[in-house]
Amino acid sequence: MVDGLLAGQAAMVRTAILHTCAEQHVSINDVVAGARSVVITHPRDNAEVVRALLSSIDVSGAVEISPVIAPSVTLAVDYSGPDLDYVAQQCGLTSQEVVTLHSGAKYVVEFCGFSPGFAYLTGLPTVLHLPRRATPRPRVPRGAVAIAAQYSAVYPRESPGGWHLLGVTNHELWNMTRDEPATLTPGTIVSFEQIT
Amino acid sequence: MTLIVERAGLTTVQDYGRPGWAHVGVPHSGAVDRGSFLLANRLAGNERSAAMLETSGGLALRASVAVTVVITGADTNAYINDQPLAHCKATLVHPGDTIRINRVLNGMRCYVAFTGGVHGLAQLHSLSHDSLSEIVPMPLTVGGEITLGATDRLATSLDVPIVPRRSPRLSLHPGPHHSLLTLEQRHGLATQKWITAQDSNRIGVRLTSSALRRNEFPELLSLPLVRGAVQLTPGGELVVMLADHPTTGGYPVVGVLASDDVDDIAQRPSGTPVVLGW
Repeated sequence: MVDGLLAGQAAMVRTAILHTCAEQHVSINDVVAGARSVVITHPRDNAEVVRALLSSIDVSGAVEISPVIAPSVTLAVDYSGPDLDYVAQQCGLTSQEVVTLHSGAKYVVEFCGFSPGFAYLTGLPTVLHLPRRATPRPRVPRGAVAIAAQYSAVYPRESPGGWHLLGVTNHELWNMTRDEPATLTPGTIVSFEQIT
Repeated sequence: MTLIVERAGLTTVQDYGRPGWAHVGVPHSGAVDRGSFLLANRLAGNERSAAMLETSGGLALRASVAVTVVITGADTNAYINDQPLAHCKATLVHPGDTIRINRVLNGMRCYVAFTGGVHGLAQLHSLSHDSLSEIVPMPLTVGGEITLGATDRLATSLDVPIVPRRSPRLSLHPGPHHSLLTLEQRHGLATQKWITAQDSNRIGVRLTSSALRRNEFPELLSLPLVRGAVQLTPGGELVVMLADHPTTGGYPVVGVLASDDVDDIAQRPSGTPVVLGW
């Protein structure tokens, strides 16, 4: 486990670890990013090799050592979510100002979790940071574009959820018949575009 | 080479899991009690990760051809027609025979392997039923068929069956948030009389106690979880992550159990005492 990372570093540290493992032919199961940490799971018999490899990766320099061209995705959003007015009111903005701020920002997938293909996107303007809903909804529709705390996200499928819903996208975010089932993988650059 | 499902009960298809997708939020999944799973494939003469059935009872299958079956894991009330089916013993099932696993005894799950292994269309390279993400490549429905692979390998039996180990004390290895605990809290976790709670499932085992101590840890940013990670909830309960655990979580991970101890705790029915130690 690599811990104590700065905001935005985990996805890049993960990429660096994957590259080093591939270069040195080290067998691993998973390299998983969290908000400030990365966890590597590996076959039991190569614990020493993985430990040595981790100590050889310069975590502090991960921002610089990531020459990989990150994939980028633009998601078209119909900003008609049920919480748009509430968010505007809580932030002291008009609904259109919320839409302009949310769609004007550039986001990066910091890590995934919660459900397959659910990506935590950093880059949400500070003025839109709100605690999640006191009572989660039992049913959030597939494609719902949402915000909570410092993150934005899109629900890849219908599920319960406690985030504020700003709108909805038709973009397919999870499809297990594709080679890469997730559209939003750690490190992907994401922007939202208002459907007019 | 097929079996017909007459009753599915509390049964899922499991292999050794779905590694390599946790970074996009897909749990590892696979057999909960890995030791019993590996033993079943070994006795059945299969590859170590061949798919089989994991059941907590209520299962009935009719063989349409001759198959060899092996049961491991928790002890069971199992029959072929009306003859008791022995544990850890490779047993030939004739065409038309019915295999029944009515209940598991003194445990949570047993493993039902067939020589040749269960075959089907994998999703993300695995046949495992993931209860958290609802990834179910092979749903078991009444009247449905289970296809087995062809094989010329030989199955073997054990003279003395192996049932899940129940260790008097499970070792907690310090987790990433161990340092958040005061000395008193560390001592408390090791001396508290824990019992397994009712709502434990393939995702996790909840440990509760009659003397829970609340804590006031700051809310953490999500971090990746592993099988065996032991989370401390604000209410003072512990949750041990099993096969279908979420890939990230926000409660402090105070300890981690070794793989054999995860197998052990996952086989304890609700209300079973658990002693933890550092």
